Amino acid sequence: MSPSEEEIHALVREEAGDCLQRMESSLLGLESGRGGLDAVDAVLRDAHSIKGSAAMVGWDEAAAIASGIEDRVEQAREDGALPPEAAGALLGEIDALGRSLGIERGTPAEEPLPGSGEGAAGDPTIRVPAAKVDRMLDAVGETVLYHRRLEHALGGGGEAVQAPDQLDMGERLLDDLQESVVQMRTLPLSTITTPFPRAVRDLAAEEGKEVELEISGAETQLDRVILDGISEMIVHLLRNAVAHGIEAPAEREGAGKPPTGRLELRAEQRGGMVAIEVRDDGRGVSPELTALVSEGRSLADILAETGFSTQAEVTGVAGRGVGLDAVKRHVEGLSGSLDVQSEPGQGTTIVMLLPLTLALMRVLLFERGGNPFGLPVTSIGRVLAVEETTSLNSRPSLDLEGDVVPLADLSALIGAGGQPLQEGCPAVVVESLGRRLAVACDRLLGEEEVVIKSLGSLLAGLPGYLGAAILENGRIALVLDSAHLLKTRIGPSATAPAEQGHDTASARILVVDDQFSPRELQRGILETAGYEVEIARDGREALSRISESDRIELVLSDVQMPEMDGFELLEAIRADDERSSLPVVLVTTLGDDESRRRGAEAGADAYIVKEEFDQRTLLETVERLLGS
Amino acid sequence: MSGVFVRVRVVDEHYALPVEEVAEVVAYGQLTPVPGAPPEVMGVHNLRGQILPVVDLAGPLGLDATEPARVVVAESGERRAGLAVDAVVDVGELPPASERPESPHLSGAVLVDGTLVGVLDVGSILAPLTGGTGD
Repeated sequence: MSPSEEEIHALVREEAGDCLQRMESSLLGLESGRGGLDAVDAVLRDAHSIKGSAAMVGWDEAAAIASGIEDRVEQAREDGALPPEAAGALLGEIDALGRSLGIERGTPAEEPLPGSGEGAAGDPTIRVPAAKVDRMLDAVGETVLYHRRLEHALGGGGEAVQAPDQLDMGERLLDDLQESVVQMRTLPLSTITTPFPRAVRDLAAEEGKEVELEISGAETQLDRVILDGISEMIVHLLRNAVAHGIEAPAEREGAGKPPTGRLELRAEQRGGMVAIEVRDDGRGVSPELTALVSEGRSLADILAETGFSTQAEVTGVAGRGVGLDAVKRHVEGLSGSLDVQSEPGQGTTIVMLLPLTLALMRVLLFERGGNPFGLPVTSIGRVLAVEETTSLNSRPSLDLEGDVVPLADLSALIGAGGQPLQEGCPAVVVESLGRRLAVACDRLLGEEEVVIKSLGSLLAGLPGYLGAAILENGRIALVLDSAHLLKTRIGPSATAPAEQGHDTASARILVVDDQFSPRELQRGILETAGYEVEIARDGREALSRISESDRIELVLSDVQMPEMDGFELLEAIRADDERSSLPVVLVTTLGDDESRRRGAEAGADAYIVKEEFDQRTLLETVERLLGS
Repeated sequence: MSGVFVRVRVVDEHYALPVEEVAEVVAYGQLTPVPGAPPEVMGVHNLRGQILPVVDLAGPLGLDATEPARVVVAESGERRAGLAVDAVVDVGELPPASERPESPHLSGAVLVDGTLVGVLDVGSILAPLTGGTGD
């Protein structure tokens, strides 16, 4: 059966629509000085293919417009460049071509969500990438085979089957099926972002402003239900930013800013939610408004309630706060929240936090202490082996091409305990909000796309986890919240130096060990218990720390170390009149009675055996000696 | 208090849960520990793709640590969790409670053939253990 004329027309429109979209983004790039000849060639190819297919179905007007575009771009290629003004002018031609082809190219807010729409009978329909359907088909195929095997076995034809095994297998298959259906429900944010650059450009031109829009994190997956309708909210925020946030070029230059305003649209997974952030570097809200915030209400509440505008006069476009109440209601209707941060003169950041109930996430899986953990790949900068560590503020760090990144043992970060790390173990560099932290683990397990599940009502509110994922082998991996890891590690320690001198609440303990992982393990346990910890890598370094600071109240030292070992350190402390009573705990290896004898003679207060080392023993020993 | 109860053994003591609050009983299997969780939570269990937190009963009831063999999936309203027990003894009717409970996790106690059976207050055991959003 050959396709009808109507079907062919639909096909031509669909292909031309894709071409137009590509041409538009290339031209937008060229207009702002990015792209070069590759982009020019790409525009040329698309214009040519539209010309061909339009002529084929007898749409002469469209073919003529496409041909005109082709000629002008061809000329530009011969000249060696397509000037920005020419690119801008061609955008108008693209619109004309779209109209002639009968392709709906309305404003983004009016554009229906790709992948959803009205079916023939008025039911909502969805478009799903073939790969997702194939995956489901695979799962169905496996299930059919499983059923046959079972039938065969029960009919006495095959080897005996174990009911529990078969039940497990069936469960696994159904999980696969379920997951493939869930996947069909999700789409990347990029499905709604394509029209935004054009919308921002047009609005900025109307307002006589220069604005550049940068989109990042568009690959973030969102449930269709959430994605539906959020497009309108984003457009509203972008419009607000262009109309009210970003100043005219002259005003910007007067304020010492570059004439072109920066508008950022960013999406990322954050703390069990998806954050969609719209940030501008415009004038921000007035100081009078920010003053109201200190009275207990958030800026989002104030702006939404009163419709305050950041601009004195009312323009044709809604005031800053006008309509924000609609955005707030929409987001809250999805059990999300809206946050507004604004600095007078510096710009405004609006964050929509949306739930990720069904969101899919690509995670990097790794193991620590025999248990699998995951981190969203979007929050990972790189992965490396821990070879050489440096020290920053007496904390272990890694030197990443001249950049010093703090290093921490995952077990210490989350308070899991476990065997010390091996030399050369892998570390995952976590990045969020401009901060970095290398997290060391036992081994990497690989990447997997997972459905994030809640830890259940009993553990609701437990910080540090985005949730849990069930892996292909049926095991559960806890998915860590990168923002929380960075807070755990960097937050408190970064403020510690400022508190020096007036902090008597927590005792300060010096941990002395030449090896990274036992040192980190001890530090993690002690810090989690509320102690302040300093680090030294041998006896000599320990002595100089002790003499520099009179706040060290206990020393926890390894025995075998280069330069000066634990005994020599102990003897030196006991020989120092001022510090002879400082409690010293020696960390020895199992069955090393000789060390114990020598330590006792030299005046060690306690021992901890490395092989029997656990959180409780360490803390009990420390508490006992500090008399707390 | 009367009705049908699921009787379980924890270490050497007997407890009972109203049958309406028991969804099913599964093998203890492999648990994934959750660092940072309250000590009562032994870990999470993969219950057919659902994450089920498993709660230690011995600790809260003042018994010594045990090696549980079964998980009783208990439900109270929207809440759901697994309770680690050594064995399921039987399912049957219990006479009305005659003894005063000695733990906040019990709603009563009853003597059955000379054995004291504590009736568990599932609602109190499944109350959220983590306070607010913490940190």
